[in-house]
Amino acid sequence: MRFRLKHAALILAAALVAAGAASAVETRHVSEAFVTNQTDDTLSIVELATLEVADTIKIGGKPAGIAMSADGTRAFVTAPEGNELVVVDALKRQIIKRIKVGAGPLGVAAHPTNGRVYVADWYKHKVFVVDPDVGRIVAEVQVGQSPSGLAVTPDGRLLLSADRDSNEVSVIDTQTNKRVGGVAVGERPFGITIDAAGARAYTANVGSDDVSVIDIASRKLIATVPVGRRPYAVALAGSRAFVTNQYGDSVSVIDLASSKVLKTIDVGDHPEGIEADPAGANVYVACWFDNLLQRIDPVGLTVTGEAAVGDGPRAFGLFLR
Amino acid sequence: MVRALALGAALLAALTVAVSAHGPSRQKVTETVEINAPPDKVWQTIGNFQDMSWHPAVAKTEGKGGNEPKATRTLTLTSGGKIDEQLLKYDPAKMTYKYEMHHPDVKVIPVNNYSSILSVKGEGDKSTVEWRGAFYRGFMNNDPPPELNDEAAKKAVTDIYRSGLDALKQKLEAGG
Repeated sequence: MRFRLKHAALILAAALVAAGAASAVETRHVSEAFVTNQTDDTLSIVELATLEVADTIKIGGKPAGIAMSADGTRAFVTAPEGNELVVVDALKRQIIKRIKVGAGPLGVAAHPTNGRVYVADWYKHKVFVVDPDVGRIVAEVQVGQSPSGLAVTPDGRLLLSADRDSNEVSVIDTQTNKRVGGVAVGERPFGITIDAAGARAYTANVGSDDVSVIDIASRKLIATVPVGRRPYAVALAGSRAFVTNQYGDSVSVIDLASSKVLKTIDVGDHPEGIEADPAGANVYVACWFDNLLQRIDPVGLTVTGEAAVGDGPRAFGLFLR
Repeated sequence: MVRALALGAALLAALTVAVSAHGPSRQKVTETVEINAPPDKVWQTIGNFQDMSWHPAVAKTEGKGGNEPKATRTLTLTSGGKIDEQLLKYDPAKMTYKYEMHHPDVKVIPVNNYSSILSVKGEGDKSTVEWRGAFYRGFMNNDPPPELNDEAAKKAVTDIYRSGLDALKQKLEAGG
């Protein structure tokens, strides 16, 4: 009986892998959230279908930032107090490498095709370019003060860095690893998100309680949208942006066409990392004080579920796979 | 004089940068107390943002804006230090308010970017008061001195919450 069950599980697993491969051709399918729990030094892996924690991995170094490889097989976690980029095998749920990076690694982003991982250093005012397979820094880019959020355009040509204490976004050419320009935004930009078309970028400005909308091609600020107190990060789903307000215990929903706030949704205390699944069916938000990953319906604009995760979830970056 | 001014400007610049950055890891503290008194009565005592007289470390509360969001208050402590705070949310139906501290002097309280929620729950003659705070340590760069590290920040906040909540319990239960 036990043997037969195991066999059935294998067949099911094979079917799931096949289904995953098929859907990857169309829209990228996500089934898990990797949530960095800064206070208790762990990573919670949450099954999105059930909102149950499937696994918890000890990371250390107060993990905060997170990025996923384009194929979803690797998670890249920053440990700002351990000065490490931690590479996790997302399928085996094991740490496969720890790479020393700078003095305060925080924001992190993965390139869609060239295998590089970018790490923003809060104290050194640089973005480090890391080859995670070899396990070393291959280049560094001087940016503004205290770079925080990072995002790469879908075509892989540009890296954007939210330079928090310069009130500016740096534009970096990923071919040359040189800063090629900047766009002045609101005060203290923290999280930065690029839309699927690679046309616009959105920064959450902790200091001025608003969101800056940037046209990437012209490198111009095209709109500023007031949101709640201390916005942290932005997620995009359909025609809407979802912004976490740390002190507001809320998510501001922005209609992208009109740049107006449609609704403010009450969520847990200190919402931080936020991401929509690629289909735009659900938005997931980590609530740092309440130790929750909450799920929001981006059409109905209500909280539809939650998972209890580790202590102090930040999930700063792209955490779905 | 010119040199003094230049030095002052340099110090100010250094201070401005320091104020804008913060340590890498935010801390949290939650303290609670059970009180043998009805929730309404407890909320009457602690639910006015403009009156922190229930806390033994607070000598005086001065402020404006009442209990409306964005109301402000300055607490003068018995030690002589002052703390400026602003109300973020006020919900008397849920018996809770949320506030933040403005640019604290780390000599008074060794924290930065502090926000807090005070709330009362319970039924009948039993109440639970919860006081929770989120903050960064006093020293905003790597390698903090011991008096401005994460532990010092957590201890300072825990001590304030504990002494306040314990005094509140004593006061309300003694008063019948």
